[in-house]
Amino acid sequence: MAEAASSTIEKNNLTLKSSYGDEFVLEESIAIQSVTIKNMVEDGCSSSVIPLSKVDTGTLIKVIEYMKMHSSTSSNEEEIQNFDKEFVRISIKTILNILEAANFLDIRSLLDLCAEAVANRIKNKTPEVVRKIFNITSDFTPEEEAEIRNETPWAFEGDLDHSLD
Amino acid sequence: MAIDQNVEELLIMGDSDLIIRQAQGEWETRDVKLIPYKKHVEDLGKRFKSIEFRCNPKQQCKKQVLGDYCYMMPPKRRKYCRSLPPDVLSDLADNVIDVILMCLPCKDSVRTSILSKKWRYHWCRLTKLTLDSSLWVTKKDLLNPTVKFTKIIYQLLSLHEGPITKFTLNIGFLENCPDIGNFISFLSRKDIQHLVLDLSWKKLYKLPSSLFTCSQLRHLTLRDDMRAENLDFAKVFESCSALEHLRLDFFNTMFYDHYDEAPTRLPFVLNSVKQFYLPHIMLIDSYELSFALFLIRSFPCLEYLEIQVYNEEDSGTEESLELKHLSKVTFNHLREVKIELCTRRTSEMQLIKLLLANSPVLVRTLIDRKFLDDEPLDTRLQVFAEISKFSHASPKAEVVYLD
Repeated sequence: MAEAASSTIEKNNLTLKSSYGDEFVLEESIAIQSVTIKNMVEDGCSSSVIPLSKVDTGTLIKVIEYMKMHSSTSSNEEEIQNFDKEFVRISIKTILNILEAANFLDIRSLLDLCAEAVANRIKNKTPEVVRKIFNITSDFTPEEEAEIRNETPWAFEGDLDHSLD
Repeated sequence: MAIDQNVEELLIMGDSDLIIRQAQGEWETRDVKLIPYKKHVEDLGKRFKSIEFRCNPKQQCKKQVLGDYCYMMPPKRRKYCRSLPPDVLSDLADNVIDVILMCLPCKDSVRTSILSKKWRYHWCRLTKLTLDSSLWVTKKDLLNPTVKFTKIIYQLLSLHEGPITKFTLNIGFLENCPDIGNFISFLSRKDIQHLVLDLSWKKLYKLPSSLFTCSQLRHLTLRDDMRAENLDFAKVFESCSALEHLRLDFFNTMFYDHYDEAPTRLPFVLNSVKQFYLPHIMLIDSYELSFALFLIRSFPCLEYLEIQVYNEEDSGTEESLELKHLSKVTFNHLREVKIELCTRRTSEMQLIKLLLANSPVLVRTLIDRKFLDDEPLDTRLQVFAEISKFSHASPKAEVVYLD
């Protein structure tokens, strides 16, 4: 892997460090899409490496990829829309990781994009299927479940989707 | 070295998650400098019975250069690679779960209450609710939709906790109008800020007086078949002192009582209103038009005005008297106007002319020419020429045509 001496890093670049210790150099103008980072820059905490202890390398790569695309002046709206569409065609595990990172870094548009992607895997599905997709174990007794269904019966009506897609 | 020692099972530890993932084939290697190394690792790997890569994150890693990451992307479309660890979704921060649930239709978010105990009351705290006919119309349903609607609204609002800042109701085609006054009064106590009522039933609906008490209302949209019977409409606005964004659809609506003479303005001004949308307005002299115009006059701080002209009858050649009344008004804060032209009518030209002439800080006038494009080329050119001759009060105002 190539190495760069810190002297070659220009003033307006920031270094982000993932929870695994991998470091990424990124232009400040791109990185401040994250309100968390923006606040750190404004408070003068960005001269050294910014540790992102909650974001692993794989997730950080995706987040940077997103921020680069969304700050690029050369891409038009349609390109960005297509990029977003492709961006969330990944495993649900990765989406949840990015969602957490987007919340921590406070990147609203990325949070919305990933939340929408998660919502799409819940929409119109039976509770059984949603539990399977997200590995949620029900801790209700059958009686409690019946009570919940009875409380808002209309929410459980209609043709719900049983597939795992 | 390992090969020389005839090692059969090899464990490789590395401090870079990136390189380890690439070596495992989990991430693609796109950097041309690294591809030969990656290939070599693969070839060497074939000499061992088993080979495992492990990342040791505790070790500090050396600086990487900027360009590295962009050559490395996860391989495309690996669906359902592994099952998730339990409760990853449930363990997300509450505000993140809120965002996810607010992307869902109401029915789906309520259904999450059965997933597990953590999910039991989560939807009840959502601050945005959107209700439409998908909730109360089902194929096999024998229950009267209006009865069902009332029941659902009652259950939803009695289970809900905390503030509701945004509420959207699209009534669809319910034949009998349920009493929405009750829940608007409920919403007024829930700090409602953004209210959209889409009430297209066959019966005219009486505007609920509980709107009076929504003091934090910033955004109000009213569509279809509403009627302010025996109600001083001016009073509604007087109490909504925080209102910024108003959309009134006049398609089939009577927001006013039939005054003998339409009032020229509200008895007070509303400085808070910045954006005003008027879809479906007919530029022929009518109570509707005078009502719309007296509202415009009552919003002196208006910054954005959008008007969709809608004309049923062909009465195109006369200037509108109502619009003439408006010609003395100056729009001191108006920055942008959007007008959807219907056809080339004198009254439409009159409106554009007076907005351009009386708006000293206007930046843009957007003209939607979608209907104009049905006209012959000559007529279109004539319209453009006419508009370009209008005098502008604002030196920097531009006219933009939208396709």
